[in-house]
Amino acid sequence: MQITERQIDDFKSERKDIAPPLPVVLRLVPLLFYCSIAVAVILSSIFAIQFQLAVQKRDSHKAQTASLAAQTQDAKNQRTALESQIKKATDIQNWVASSRPLQPLLVEIIRSMGPRSSIVDLRLDREAGNPSQIKMGLRMGTDSTKQLDLTVEKIALLNYRAFSPTQTLGRGELDYKATLVHQDPLRQQTGEVSQ
Amino acid sequence: MNNKHIACGIVTLFIVILVQLTLWVQGHRTKVQNEAGAAQQAETDANAQLNQERAQLGELRRQSTDLIEFLRIWQPYFTTIDNPQSAEVNLSMRIKEANLVNLAQRFEQAPVKGNASIPNTMRAFLTFEDDYARLMNWLGELEVKMPTVRTSSVRLAKGTRANDLRMEVVLEQPLLKK
Repeated sequence: MQITERQIDDFKSERKDIAPPLPVVLRLVPLLFYCSIAVAVILSSIFAIQFQLAVQKRDSHKAQTASLAAQTQDAKNQRTALESQIKKATDIQNWVASSRPLQPLLVEIIRSMGPRSSIVDLRLDREAGNPSQIKMGLRMGTDSTKQLDLTVEKIALLNYRAFSPTQTLGRGELDYKATLVHQDPLRQQTGEVSQ
Repeated sequence: MNNKHIACGIVTLFIVILVQLTLWVQGHRTKVQNEAGAAQQAETDANAQLNQERAQLGELRRQSTDLIEFLRIWQPYFTTIDNPQSAEVNLSMRIKEANLVNLAQRFEQAPVKGNASIPNTMRAFLTFEDDYARLMNWLGELEVKMPTVRTSSVRLAKGTRANDLRMEVVLEQPLLKK
């Protein structure tokens, strides 16, 4: 059996509003609620999108930074290895520079002796602290200093420069002492040109 | 306060919760955006550091080209003999091969000051008495064939025979650090 609309209304008897109506300001609250829902959804969506983009950007930058840091470390390692190689090369170069053969110098000194002169004792010692400097001690059997001049001249032809030379002549023997330092002719020429 | 007021209060509370939620999301966004900004700055710094490091490396490479080439050429000579035993054997063999009159020979290992790559040398204290030409040729050949060997001291004096020389020589074989 169908109940008519009128009959339903009959169940709910007409009655007066128990509570007084809300003030006008508070009637705006439901409207504000709906508006706040809409604004919250829109803003939260925007913020969420921006959040996602920022996360992607941050992660991308972090990954790129890590990659750059790895490349920097690699470059640093290469530089350290190169510095080590340079140090080694410098050490070897120093050794080689201070290991110039002495045989040509010996031969030249011996060959410089004239018929009336002879070598009694010839000594070449590299200085312990500075091996590129050679302490020379030459004792010759000669009666004049001409032979010494000739020998020193021959030594100079091999690009050795004598420092602090001392000579003592007595009893038919000449004692000569000096510190020899090899001068690189190419470097000297370069120095002259630059001057 | 009636039920309408209570309903209004509840709705207002919901509004506050929604605002707080939105502010919370905004706060998170701002935080991550700041982190992204910091990460970008870090990337810029890292990039600058990499460029600086590469520039330094390039400059160092450019400056050291000759030295590295020098090392490439010379290092094999130094690595051929890199221990005291081989240095001693090598020098002894050369003396024997030359068949020189060797009056005395002594070997000792000695430290090298101020050279980190060559911390030690094998020193050979040799005394010969032989023909002048043979001795000079031997020494000259040794210095040419073993360019790393340093003749640190030579003393020449007359020998017992007319053409003989007495030669006391100290040779140093560098032992490259491994």
